[in-house]
Amino acid sequence: MKTRFYAVYVSALAFFLVTSCASLRTAAFDQYSYQKGTEIKVDAQNLMGKATMSYDSQAAAIEALQIELAKMVEYEKNKPDNKISYAMWKMIANPDKKFIGGFLKRWKEKSTLSSFFITEAKGQVVEALDLILQYEAKKDPAAAKRLEGMLASQ
Amino acid sequence: MDFKDLLKELKGNLLHLMGAKFDDLKAESKKDVQDFLNASKDKLERWTTLLAQGNITLDDYKWLVESQKDLVVLQGLYAAGVSKIKLGHLKNSILDTVIQTAIGFVQPKLDNDNEANA
Repeated sequence: MKTRFYAVYVSALAFFLVTSCASLRTAAFDQYSYQKGTEIKVDAQNLMGKATMSYDSQAAAIEALQIELAKMVEYEKNKPDNKISYAMWKMIANPDKKFIGGFLKRWKEKSTLSSFFITEAKGQVVEALDLILQYEAKKDPAAAKRLEGMLASQ
Repeated sequence: MDFKDLLKELKGNLLHLMGAKFDDLKAESKKDVQDFLNASKDKLERWTTLLAQGNITLDDYKWLVESQKDLVVLQGLYAAGVSKIKLGHLKNSILDTVIQTAIGFVQPKLDNDNEANA
């Protein structure tokens, strides 16, 4: 009888701890998110470097990157316990924010952009994407250590 | 351009997003905030020089300053997310400890009951 009481007590305590801390849950490290984020970062950097040329001349590449960004936002949106990553990706893609979405919007409005502006804007976009990648890596401490090891060996 | 006012605004926004006062932050978070503000100061000075030299337009300059403000928001999301992950790890450790302690407490009772029934 006593044993049953203790078993019920322990189960109830564990259940309470798990459910009461639901807001602390964070999606696990996602290799796809990390890899896709890295690809988007490289593609965005390359494309931004071409903004001295006319927007129309790069329309196909611009559209391809916009589609990849939209796919990424949708992918992050539907992962459970992933509000922060989703919010970060939404900012990156949003044409009204001053990251890659906003850069492409400005390029379209101006047709061409100056090399000085491109260099500075590229730094901002890269910094933003690095924050997202670093956050994804933090979700799994082992992955972060592997990344540090890879960077150290470069 | 008054850098001090702009930096003060950026710092205020960042701390508001992180929901903490600078003095109350732990050393690691405090260093992150300070590093970010130092980087902001360097950028603002460089962009102002580029503007004065005519290398970027006023519109370009405004866009870049706004991008730094957007980065403040992103940095706040990042800091909140990292804190959440750390709290999650702490929660798991507490949960493991509670379960192990409870099992250790129940196990002798189970053994005694089994011996009594034998």
